Amino acid sequence: MSDLGIALVFWPTAALMLVTGLYVFITSSMARAGLLLLASLGVEGLIFIALASEFLGFLQLLMMSGEMVIMVFFMVMFMPDPGGLMGMDMTHDKRRSAAVAAAIAVALAVVAVLTDWPARAVGNDAPDVRAIGFEVMGRSMITFLFAAMTILFAMVGGVLLAKAGGRYGIGAPRGEPRGPRSDD
Amino acid sequence: MSDWTPVAVLAVALGGAGAVALLEQLVAGLRPAPAALARDAVATLRQPLRRPETYDTWLFHLAPGLLVIAAVTALATVPWAPGFRGIDFQAGVILFGGALAYVTPAVFMAGWGAGSPLAVVGGFRWLALMLAYAMPVAMVLTAVAAPAGSLRPADIVEVQHAVPMGLVQPLALGLWLPAVVAVCFLPPFDLPHAPSELGGGTFAGYRGLDAALVRLAQRVLLVAVSGMTAALFLSGWHGPLLPPALWMVVKTAGVAALILWAGRRLPRLEIDRALALAWKVANPLAIVAIVIAGGLTLGFYR
Repeated sequence: MSDLGIALVFWPTAALMLVTGLYVFITSSMARAGLLLLASLGVEGLIFIALASEFLGFLQLLMMSGEMVIMVFFMVMFMPDPGGLMGMDMTHDKRRSAAVAAAIAVALAVVAVLTDWPARAVGNDAPDVRAIGFEVMGRSMITFLFAAMTILFAMVGGVLLAKAGGRYGIGAPRGEPRGPRSDD
Repeated sequence: MSDWTPVAVLAVALGGAGAVALLEQLVAGLRPAPAALARDAVATLRQPLRRPETYDTWLFHLAPGLLVIAAVTALATVPWAPGFRGIDFQAGVILFGGALAYVTPAVFMAGWGAGSPLAVVGGFRWLALMLAYAMPVAMVLTAVAAPAGSLRPADIVEVQHAVPMGLVQPLALGLWLPAVVAVCFLPPFDLPHAPSELGGGTFAGYRGLDAALVRLAQRVLLVAVSGMTAALFLSGWHGPLLPPALWMVVKTAGVAALILWAGRRLPRLEIDRALALAWKVANPLAIVAIVIAGGLTLGFYR
């Protein structure tokens, strides 16, 4: 694609990505938040494609759809007000979180502006690309696998704890542990 | 890929959807009636849109459009002939999977946006179903890409010039077919909108253009997955005597007819059984299929 074509795709999609990303935090409906986040990250996939890294773009589109759908499923399942219709406030500790968020945003902006980014364009068969591929698929793979297993165990554990009966076992009515009661 | 490729893909989508509508009548044992189908389509398009009385109406009206985009994108990756491969990307198989992945949020959006109890139930059934059946699709795609050593659909067709992949990897084909039928929300996996259980479910509220787009998207999806089945498992455009494109048309129509016929013959699966089948049988077998594909690749395709 020409530079103009890339610019025409990049700037509107980048704006859309930021706006949908922002709305994720404004809405209080779990379904809407998940779908808006999917829109934001899916549009990011389109930016990858426009910047000619098709594989990354397709993978982003594929993975984000699956992940955000899982997120919507779990959030609606676990949240007391999934539709955002009861006016429940989902934010906590507002002043301190706003301060932390602002500080991180400023820090990232400073890093982005002050870093001496390389201006050299790297082709598909550059040695750097090869090196990154071997790094990701080789030595770093065990880290990724470990992270993936941790997330999987956390998800399975979360579902087990949230099931009726929870950690007290199948068949126990919710909220009433089998065995000795807590007040005696 | 030329400037005319998008036009050609849209033509294949519209023509294919019409052909599927005729095929549905044939499989049902009716005499194909194109004129009646056209009249039905016009009548549907003339209905006014229905606006559900809930908060998320924008999701409700966005869903059919997203469905059509996902279906047409999936169709665009199907290689029809050596000269016409749609949008021919190096990672076309991933784009096919990525496009199918957007059917999931689209149908959920339809159910959630409609806001009626049965529609929301349909939407959640659908999410659970797709979480279970998206994995076999992705794993089978890797299993057929491994022998070709390429994620480009046209390369996978070329590697089958002697033996179709369906004969080499029957397990992968057996896992693929039910999973793609589920992605197309066709019977026996029509759980989100099950006409006789949920009264239309996720799509019950659609009238006019919305309803027409959903029907169009489902038929285009069927063409896309049938075409991809023909390309990935039935050696695509390879075949004696007939020209390559015609072979693809014949194989695609055969797969689509098989899927529609099975949908009429098999009873609808209960959601628990459909999920148990996926998590306890299909997903473990899909891992076996990948191991088999790896062995075949090392032994015969290198």
